[in-house]
Amino acid sequence: MQQQGKSSGSEMEVTWEDQQNINTFSRFNNRLHELEDEIKFSKEKCENLEDAGNELILADEEMVRFQIGEVFAHLPRDEVETRIEEMKEATCEGLAKLEQEKASIVSQMAALKKLLYAKFKDSINLEED
Amino acid sequence: MSSSSPSGDLTERRGIPAAKFIQDVETYLSQSNLDSNSALAFHQERLQQYKVVEMKLLAQQRDLQAKIPDIEKCLEVVATLQARKGTGEFHKVELGYALNSSMQTLLRPCEDSFSSALLADFEVSEGIYSRACIEDSDSVCLWLGANVMLEYSCEEATALLKNNLENAKASLEVLVADLQFLRDQVTVTQVTIARIYNYDVHQRRVKQVTSTAIAAADA
Repeated sequence: MQQQGKSSGSEMEVTWEDQQNINTFSRFNNRLHELEDEIKFSKEKCENLEDAGNELILADEEMVRFQIGEVFAHLPRDEVETRIEEMKEATCEGLAKLEQEKASIVSQMAALKKLLYAKFKDSINLEED
Repeated sequence: MSSSSPSGDLTERRGIPAAKFIQDVETYLSQSNLDSNSALAFHQERLQQYKVVEMKLLAQQRDLQAKIPDIEKCLEVVATLQARKGTGEFHKVELGYALNSSMQTLLRPCEDSFSSALLADFEVSEGIYSRACIEDSDSVCLWLGANVMLEYSCEEATALLKNNLENAKASLEVLVADLQFLRDQVTVTQVTIARIYNYDVHQRRVKQVTSTAIAAADA
């Protein structure tokens, strides 16, 4: 978090409202970092499932080992295919939701930045290092 | 602490005290009878305490976040077993083995492979897998902890696991709210420290200016 650095000696009035804006900004910033991790994880999972699906098309075995929990179950290929397809859909849906949330947070952060910079000028630093 | 936060915010949450917002640094210092240095020290100590609590909450959050997919996996296994329930008939049950860290089902070594029973490779030890047939079964054994495992019907197991999942999700939600509250307090404290510091710098500068002015007047 990096919302301090009110350096210039002049006494700057900080109101409760300003403080709340700073708090909200900090919250958004935290959530943004969490979201970035979650999105990265989701993307990887989506790609892996995609790869698995493609691999499956090429495979000529009737029974495939499919991991459920910690066990590899021997399942017929078409069942695995539908399962992977379902998992992929769920993951991609989740990913889209995360991206949406990220976009909304980014725009709200930009609005807060404008507000805070307008008031505190260079006495506040809201950028990442 | 003297000055207050205008809105009627709560003063603590789950034993975490709220950081009070300071309206005006000067009145705060004079009212609480502190000089800048001791006020800074006080707030810095507070900040450290908040950080310690944050670490604890983060650890709890990680635990819960790991637990939720675990329960989901268990549910998936039960669902698979239930879906498999079909025609095959098996007898003798010989082996209990972990299907998942918190779930076991009864397995037997497999020779006659073709039947409706679920054929599975499971890890015996790291990197070593063995094959087993999971016979048609109406029940699974859930690991309840404290060295206790209980046999449940698939329906009961699903209900129990779902309940656990709900509980875990609910506690995670509360925990996230706690963390958010805590982080707000951290931010308030950080801003307060910066403001007291700036006030101090400002005071020193004023003092210096006046003293040089007096010296100049004397000369």
